[in-house]
Amino acid sequence: MVEFTKVKKCSTKEFELIKITDDVRQFAAQSKIKNGVVYVILSHTTAGIMVNESLPCLEKDIETTLEELVPLHKDYAHSHFLPSYGAIGGNAPGHLKSMLVGNHCVIPLIDGKLVMGMAQDVYLAEFDGVQQRTFFIEIIGE
Amino acid sequence: MVIDVHVHPAFYEPVCGDPKRVSLRKGVMGYDLMSPFPLELVEKQMAFAGVDKLVLLGEDCAAEGGDVLSNEEISRIVALDPTRFIGFATVDPNRPDALEILRYAFGTLKLRGLKLHPAKQQFYPNDPKFFPIYELCLSYNVPITFHCGMSWQPNTLLKYSHPEVFEEIAVRYPQLRINLAHFGFPWVLETAAIILKYPNVYADTACCYMDCPEQFFEQLFFKLMGPLWVEHNIADKILFGSNNPRFRPARIKRGLEYQPFSEETLAKILGENAVRFLGLEVNGNG
Repeated sequence: MVEFTKVKKCSTKEFELIKITDDVRQFAAQSKIKNGVVYVILSHTTAGIMVNESLPCLEKDIETTLEELVPLHKDYAHSHFLPSYGAIGGNAPGHLKSMLVGNHCVIPLIDGKLVMGMAQDVYLAEFDGVQQRTFFIEIIGE
Repeated sequence: MVIDVHVHPAFYEPVCGDPKRVSLRKGVMGYDLMSPFPLELVEKQMAFAGVDKLVLLGEDCAAEGGDVLSNEEISRIVALDPTRFIGFATVDPNRPDALEILRYAFGTLKLRGLKLHPAKQQFYPNDPKFFPIYELCLSYNVPITFHCGMSWQPNTLLKYSHPEVFEEIAVRYPQLRINLAHFGFPWVLETAAIILKYPNVYADTACCYMDCPEQFFEQLFFKLMGPLWVEHNIADKILFGSNNPRFRPARIKRGLEYQPFSEETLAKILGENAVRFLGLEVNGNG
């Protein structure tokens, strides 16, 4: 059996780590599927889905490290006019950070509950805000 | 106060209820892959960028679908948050009833400026048959933003939007406040000459950057121009404009803040000049 939902979140900064664990937990709790896996999948290319520990110091370290790896100012090939959009590709850093973080995570579901380590939280990682973002939660199981 | 004088609210959800109309608007305005977003997002983008007010521009092109972003739609958005939004009217000046449309836009809808797009609407702004429009704007004490220079919209011709074609209007109507949008790109030096010479003419920063705003504004204001040209000559004549949704206000603003302008000059560019251009010092800040 498969169950699926879409969730929208509006970021408030260019870089923002938005905790979405409760959204995932809530959908899993109301699901008829009791055992299986939960996928959290993002529908964008300049943000990411990641699992990490929800501590302000770590969130800061994640931001700093990604900024060092992918600086704001660099001669990115993507920074040019894109006729297909009618806009400038001003978000190369967002694309590259998204590539580093990935666009999904998978969590086991046992007896109707997410099986997660006590330090784990699920984040929507915004790298190109401020934007409205959509992610999918899909549960596959029985 | 920070004012973005150049925003096209083509994808604000309150004016995107009809998918066919949105599709027509996208085609006419050249926004192929963009899609509607809620007003909540605009508020958050403004908060993040540190922008207090947006000047919202409509679009009317009689030869291409008419008013694809109409005066009524601009007025409707402004009514949702008049503290944040300032609406400009649009009209294709080739319409025989252009003056009537504008009287309604200024008098009834209370729109506070006019946007004309000579390249799209395909008219020479210095043709005397359009002078009554400028006189009407003067009678309502509202400014005009003219598209100037290159446009990414389809069916737009550069010959109608060279900075030179606006000079005669500046001379003939010295009390008419004029903004040459996009800093007239690629004719940025010609635009600089006009805003330097005519006290009633401004230029906005909604330029078509081709690298990133930081690099582009450095090239424009400190390489193509001498390093003190803005600071000592045209600091009072430059308006912060983003051309959103093509470019993001936060990024254009950051590109300007990155430049070695004095604090005073940056404050003028980001908002003080716009207060004067828009006539807010007379009409209040609402």
